[in-house]
Amino acid sequence: MLKSWKLKEIVLLAILSVVFAVVYLAFVHVGNLWAGLIGPIAYEWIFGIWFIVSIIAAYIIRKPGAALLSEVLAASIEMMIGNAIGPRIILVGIIQGLGAEAAFAVTGYRRYDLWVLMLAGFGAAVTSFAYTYVMGGLAALSPTYVATMFALRATSGMLIAGVGGKILSDLLLRTGALEGYAVARQGRVHG
Amino acid sequence: MTFHEMNPTIKFLTVTLLMFGLAFIYNPWTPLTVFIGILILQSLFSSISWRRWGLFMIPFLFTALGTLWTTLVFGKETGGEILFTLLGNDVTAENVMLAATLALRVLAFTAVSLLFTLTTDPKRFIYSLMQQGKLSPKIAYSVFVGFRFFPILKHELMQLYETHALRGIRLETRLDHIRHAPKLIIPLLAGAIRQAERIAFSMEARGFTGEPRATYEVVPVTRSDFLMASLLLLLFGVSAWLGIK
Repeated sequence: MLKSWKLKEIVLLAILSVVFAVVYLAFVHVGNLWAGLIGPIAYEWIFGIWFIVSIIAAYIIRKPGAALLSEVLAASIEMMIGNAIGPRIILVGIIQGLGAEAAFAVTGYRRYDLWVLMLAGFGAAVTSFAYTYVMGGLAALSPTYVATMFALRATSGMLIAGVGGKILSDLLLRTGALEGYAVARQGRVHG
Repeated sequence: MTFHEMNPTIKFLTVTLLMFGLAFIYNPWTPLTVFIGILILQSLFSSISWRRWGLFMIPFLFTALGTLWTTLVFGKETGGEILFTLLGNDVTAENVMLAATLALRVLAFTAVSLLFTLTTDPKRFIYSLMQQGKLSPKIAYSVFVGFRFFPILKHELMQLYETHALRGIRLETRLDHIRHAPKLIIPLLAGAIRQAERIAFSMEARGFTGEPRATYEVVPVTRSDFLMASLLLLLFGVSAWLGIK
């Protein structure tokens, strides 16, 4: 999978993962404090934040594996900076990354329009929710409550990760720093 | 023989397995014994700062409390004798057991996680993943680069604050700085991306090809690694048995 990757693309992936690992961790703490008050549902509406690096990396680099790898790296770095979610977070990263990756795979890694990015955010929400369902023991809660949780997470994935990821990447593109990456070439083809 | 010396990849696999096992158990006693057992093992076979342990644990105490009351108030209908009503939801004995299980699970997960996090050196973990886990050196060394980036990013962030101050943006309190941070993310990322490109070039200039390579530090797998792993799995086995009884 990595054969077609240039080293600079992998290093870019690592840097993005570092930056977002810090952001992710900050929001874990925000979520934790909230969760004491309103329960696990506190995480749901901000959940899209934790998918954003997948969307940004895939949108910029446009190669198979970008969404998955970036999320896994961000999770590993989160773990290594030190937090109490520990090694489990890598598993979470793999699962979320796969959900986002699926959207890009389905479109043949050729389309990176807004709706594909939103689909990726939705995909990450679906897989990560399946994980939460098992590990968090959501079977113990009433189905309506679980459905509300999922709806919140899916919306957050589509809006914060999908729309937010695109806005952030496009702003970056405007600075000219992404000249050497696929996202800049794409723009030129279409004028 | 300590958890610090244990092979990180084996430790990682054992700990993950243990947490997966916990996810399928629905009685409060198993997570409770795992939690206590981990504390005992950790004090016997590691030297960590318990103050740090406590600091990491605090936020998850909140989560555990949140989980506890959510499961009581929004718990599914189980049937059976109603013990009491909480905010309009009838709580049965089974609901109470479920709520205790899930809250204790959060605590057990956190204890198991901290056992790994507080005794594992990130560098050794990556080396071990490369040597035992067949992780691609391209990825491994990019993660090292990522790590080197922390001080660089911090420095750049300070510089950005200074540039903005020169342009007349007054930030006095810590809260002002935090509020201003979103405005800095684009320039910070743009700078980081340019740096990434330069680093990649210089890695290639020094002959880094991404092929498997000789390593300076060898992380071995020894018999005591399996001993420690079986100790952890034994703890889980005993806890699961206690839970069923």
